[in-house]
Amino acid sequence: MKRGVRAAGTALLAAAVLVWTLVPLFWMLSASVKTELQLYLRPPRWFVPPVWDSYRQVLFEVPFAQYFANSLAVAAGTTVGAMGLGALAAYGFSRFAFKGAATIRFLILMTRMVPRIALVVPYFLMMLRLGLLDTYTGLILAYVSFALPFTIWLMIGFFDEVPRDVEEAAFVDGCSRYRAFRDVVLPLAAPGLVVTGIFAFLLSWNEFLFALILSGVHSKTLPVVIAGFNTDVGPLYNEMSAAAVLVMIPTVILTLALQRHVVRGLTLGAVKG
Amino acid sequence: MVRYARGGLPWLAPGIAFLLLIDLFPLAYAVVISLYSWWLVRPSETHLIGLGNYVGLVTDPQVAHDTAVSAVFMAGAVSLELVAGLFLAVVFAQRARVFDLVRPVILLPLFITPVVSGTMWRLMFHPDLGIVNYYLRRIGIAGPPWLSDPGLAMVALILLDAWRTIPFMFLVLHAGIVSQPHEFFEAAMVDGAGAWQTFWHITLPLLRYIMVVAVLIRAMDAFREFDIFYVLTSGGPGTATETIQMLNYRIFGFGRVGLASALSTLTLVLVAAMSLALLRLLARERAA
Repeated sequence: MKRGVRAAGTALLAAAVLVWTLVPLFWMLSASVKTELQLYLRPPRWFVPPVWDSYRQVLFEVPFAQYFANSLAVAAGTTVGAMGLGALAAYGFSRFAFKGAATIRFLILMTRMVPRIALVVPYFLMMLRLGLLDTYTGLILAYVSFALPFTIWLMIGFFDEVPRDVEEAAFVDGCSRYRAFRDVVLPLAAPGLVVTGIFAFLLSWNEFLFALILSGVHSKTLPVVIAGFNTDVGPLYNEMSAAAVLVMIPTVILTLALQRHVVRGLTLGAVKG
Repeated sequence: MVRYARGGLPWLAPGIAFLLLIDLFPLAYAVVISLYSWWLVRPSETHLIGLGNYVGLVTDPQVAHDTAVSAVFMAGAVSLELVAGLFLAVVFAQRARVFDLVRPVILLPLFITPVVSGTMWRLMFHPDLGIVNYYLRRIGIAGPPWLSDPGLAMVALILLDAWRTIPFMFLVLHAGIVSQPHEFFEAAMVDGAGAWQTFWHITLPLLRYIMVVAVLIRAMDAFREFDIFYVLTSGGPGTATETIQMLNYRIFGFGRVGLASALSTLTLVLVAAMSLALLRLLARERAA
């Protein structure tokens, strides 16, 4: 009896959690397929026969494809840059002992604490001087520096899990250390590296403040476009929703791919997930 | 793991050089800029004024107000998230099947673009097409104008932040609880401890270190939060929900880069002091 009550309680709570999480999502989704009139109908309509006008509008009137390409290019550049630099450094921390290793690792982590707004003014002036304002490169450089600390930390954990015997065997076969790293260790750590890469990609895809300040007509990324819908344009709520849904789709797919590794990623291994 | 004694440096050099150049150099540069009266529109009038910008900021009531707003948001959001996350983590710890079912969904708010989440909640709180007030009215509560009332706008921001990051607390604390050794709980059961006693005397003490880590991470993120403020309230109504970050952005928008950098530097000092305090706490927890 008591057991049944508890099970029912848990089920109820689980349902409440799902409703709380999904209602805002669903409300936006439904707004994106409504007509202007349907948006304001009371009582609110949860399910309507979908009208795709907002999507057509967003995809063909706003140069949305261009912004999508911008976001994709910047996120891809960030992922490659952070993974490249991060893998080398993480391997260094994972395999070598040296004086001050723990301190350096800690200081690298500390750069995560720096409020990004503190970097944005000097960064803006630097990019202005280098002629890198409103370019992919300018954004990618900034995002790699944001992603690098946690890429290094996450990858140290993944490299630690690759037993050292495997690469020693490669040394015996006459491999250089770099070749052993590239041909033996990297493939073995691949699943972990994919997880790390997804985190880096999402960081870049979602970043708003630097994009707002550093990007312009040529490099504007999606979060800036969505924020523009919120603040500049009048009440184009269904188009705004459609655009937001399009930005959300890749994040949902990648999040579902992360699943079991999320906790480790969120706490950089402070809690094993 | 046994580590090699020699040869580590070349592996680290590129990454560390990059961080020094792109992270540390701008920070130092910001300190230099902060000593100038520097207006982007009038570059020829740029001149050194020493601590002038800092004096101006420290005596400005707007800065004090915005610092308080940041603090209220941080305290409100993090404590709500901690309590809710802890509650959920404890309830679902013994229900692995239900948890596995819920997990893919609760992960979503964590990684959905913050600007997109802000958009969702603007639709929720909208006086005409939103559903929050509609359903409140249905249960007999006259829905308040959420985003145009100074106090409620802050509540709305905290709710949005809670939507995004309760899952963080939930998942991290859940991972902490399920990794706790069983023996303690079995021993407690044998001694006839009730559920509440077990939670209070065993689960919670064992969880303290992880809780401090989670709060540290979240507090820093909440203090730096910018995106959801920009989208949901833009610091309004008036400057009621303007945080230091929003003020900094506003000053930068005027092209006052010297003043903006001074505020950045002050923020950085504040954050560093907070981090140190929390890290000290963390070190104590770890020793305990």
